[in-house]
Amino acid sequence: MSDMTKITKAADYLSGLLKEKQNLKAQFEISEITTTEITVENGDFSLLRTMFDKDVAIKVLVDQKPGTTSINSFEEADIKDALENAITSSASAVADDCFNLAPAIKGEEFTRGPLEPDMDTLMSRTAELKEAIAKEYPNILLMMGIVEHVRTDSMYRNTNGTEDVVHSGVYNIYLEFAGNDGNNTSGISGSSISIETLDTPFIELGRIRKDLEDAEKSVAPTSVDGKFEGKIIFTPECFKNALNTYMQIALSDIVIVDNSSLWRNKIGQKVAADSFTFSVKPWDKRIIDHEYHTADGFRSEDYTIIENGVLKSFATSLYGANKAKVERAGNTSAAYVVEPGTTSLDDMIKNIDRGLIVGAISAGAPGVNGEIAGVAKNAFYIENGKIVNAVTETMISFNVVNVLNNIVDISKEVLCNGDFVIPYICVDGITISGK
Amino acid sequence: MLEDILGKSKSLFETGAQSVLRGQENRLRSVVINQGVLVVNTRSEESGVCAKVYKNGVNGFASMAEYSEAAAEQVIKAATTNANYLRKYAQTQKGVLPSISSQIINSKRFIIDFEQKRIIDICQDIDAYIVKHCPKITSRMVNYREDTMEKFIYTSDACDGHVAYPRCRILFILKMEALDGSTVELHEIAGGFGHIEDHFQNLDYVYRKVDETYKRLCDKAEGVYAEAGEKTVILHPDVAGMIAHEAIGHTVEADLVLGGSVAGQNLNKKVASDIVNIVDFANTYQGEQAPLPVYIDDEGIPAKDAVLVKDGVLTGFMHNRESALHFGVEPLGNARGHVFSDEPLIRMRNTTVLPGKDKLEDMIASIDDGYYLLNTGNGEADLTGEFMFGITCGYEIKHGKLGKAILDTTVSGIAFDLLKTVDMLSDEVTWCPSGTCGKKQLMPVSMGGPAVKCKINIGGR
Repeated sequence: MSDMTKITKAADYLSGLLKEKQNLKAQFEISEITTTEITVENGDFSLLRTMFDKDVAIKVLVDQKPGTTSINSFEEADIKDALENAITSSASAVADDCFNLAPAIKGEEFTRGPLEPDMDTLMSRTAELKEAIAKEYPNILLMMGIVEHVRTDSMYRNTNGTEDVVHSGVYNIYLEFAGNDGNNTSGISGSSISIETLDTPFIELGRIRKDLEDAEKSVAPTSVDGKFEGKIIFTPECFKNALNTYMQIALSDIVIVDNSSLWRNKIGQKVAADSFTFSVKPWDKRIIDHEYHTADGFRSEDYTIIENGVLKSFATSLYGANKAKVERAGNTSAAYVVEPGTTSLDDMIKNIDRGLIVGAISAGAPGVNGEIAGVAKNAFYIENGKIVNAVTETMISFNVVNVLNNIVDISKEVLCNGDFVIPYICVDGITISGK
Repeated sequence: MLEDILGKSKSLFETGAQSVLRGQENRLRSVVINQGVLVVNTRSEESGVCAKVYKNGVNGFASMAEYSEAAAEQVIKAATTNANYLRKYAQTQKGVLPSISSQIINSKRFIIDFEQKRIIDICQDIDAYIVKHCPKITSRMVNYREDTMEKFIYTSDACDGHVAYPRCRILFILKMEALDGSTVELHEIAGGFGHIEDHFQNLDYVYRKVDETYKRLCDKAEGVYAEAGEKTVILHPDVAGMIAHEAIGHTVEADLVLGGSVAGQNLNKKVASDIVNIVDFANTYQGEQAPLPVYIDDEGIPAKDAVLVKDGVLTGFMHNRESALHFGVEPLGNARGHVFSDEPLIRMRNTTVLPGKDKLEDMIASIDDGYYLLNTGNGEADLTGEFMFGITCGYEIKHGKLGKAILDTTVSGIAFDLLKTVDMLSDEVTWCPSGTCGKKQLMPVSMGGPAVKCKINIGGR
């Protein structure tokens, strides 16, 4: 187990200061984070970083007025100043009974993942990855590869009596690369995954091989011909970004409180195809990026946002739920899990007369009306059930909220990359236009 | 303000290693008033030291969340150890970085801190103004954000410096019901380099922005979808700045050039019409302070202007010391890190298209069927030069006159193709001083431009 001495000492000091205050509710999280990061640039090792960081994040409610602060020092004088700053700041706020903290929950000590990096294996796996890319994907230029181990030790406490302690270690891999045949280049592609063991060669993880293959095939893209309405298949990474958009423009505190969400009055109603079920599940065994307690101090619980096409929950915090008089979401993480379908990706492609498979959408962030028009990136044109070519200068437009009603297929394959579990999703009724 | 305690630690640099020690503090002041309720009220500080050591062609880096001489000693040792360890695995041999004449370079101004109450009062004044003067809105948000950074930089073989980047801005968002019952929204930003009293002592100019934004939102509530396809457009300076940053700037960052950017094969070639000039200014524009003045970068390099496009010809890239060595050119101070634990990356500073000689009204009058694109939310660019940015506010141009407002859309194109279609530039640069670039680390940048007439692909229905 880690040495929690410094964290506990700082937490005890801060708890003592809070006990002296009147009419105050508070929570804080004190963390130490150590990151060891290897960078590969343009095919060779270029940088090794070691980062020792710490964080003290404090939230106070003084007479129902909020104030928050954070510092990266465990010095008692700094902690005292930070708390006084937060209290002073809160005095200027407007009191709102909807602000609150969770009641006491049974505190626990959680440990997950490799707490210490196996540096020699990490280096050799990274070297193995760059050599495999150079050998097996000669038309790939590995612009940047970052492989890191992150160790976090933290303690959460609130004035209602909760104390949680978390120790976690994780390896993260981020790759940025492009297809390049010496004359032409593809757009930037990427692949990322979080893992807890170094048992498997990195190139076999997640969608790394598929992403490399796609980039190699994308050095000579063409624009689609004209404008038509067709189907698109979202890759799992692309659909994850769509889910982030739902969180922001349809499910978050801000749009539920101000009533601007298109889903504001749709709890219990159909908002998606019957086949679509979307949950946020930090306790799912496939999720590595785990949340143990919510931002408000509740024990995190899995919850479902859309079940068989019916809207079940918003992603509201305690404040948002109190303010909008809706149910609080079970957790505040982004551990997205979309249930798989029964169709293989190959069969999904065969079922498309004319459309695209899209790895990313480069677009202006959609507003609350959900309208989006963007450039299809890392994308391939499909015609008569076959992938024809990579595309460039091809735009797609649709309503990102309403498009869930147009889901025609969900793949049985899912991508588990450590922080989400998502299949390929095929939707109809997309406007696709070339130059 | 940080104390200057790190200078003595230079004696700990290993002989033969090219080392940089940086001490840094970042401050955040953030207030969000949503629907009249203060929902975010934050003050935070983070400080620490880092060392970067270039030795035998590889880099070691270490950082520690503690601003002290002891921490400086530890990170110098750890970074040197990391460089030695990594050398065992690296295959490429790189040379020694050319030395820079030593001098001390300091910022012209530093950071002033203000009480949170002052910030909240200003936001509440703006919120009250919105309530009083924007009767048709259905919701509103006012967001103050102050990201400041202060750095001490000590190097083994370049310049030393003490720099600060005080910066604050207020963003407000207005939402309104459109004719079809859906919700439309617009945002606007005020502020820039400096502190709260530089920008918000008098709120009249913020109120003018509120009035202008409200009028445009009313127009947008009755707006139409843009017609998809390649169109002749006028890009407002705010949007033209995005061209300078996203469409051109990123493609000529040397790390992306080495990664295969299309700019690599176009150096010294015609990439734009003759009237197009693009410069990444270091700290001074037309004799006055640029919106984000950089005097020394985080590798200890004195900052100078980087001319990227001159008379339509691509003339240079932006570099750090290593890429400058690779290309055999002088580094111009583009390497910056956001927080103390960030290694410096090649970043833009004040990137702009230079002005031309045309008047905006003449430019609009010259278009029979097109669009005037006024506001953008975000943008992205690719190695291929393909770019996009979101358009949140715009108007049709019909027969030389502004027509109906358009709903949110996205424009895209290939950067060098677009630049070749530029045939008019207005005669004044407007800066967008509150930009934040998201290349691996967040980084304050500014961008600007005149109004630009060009052809661009516009998304629509």
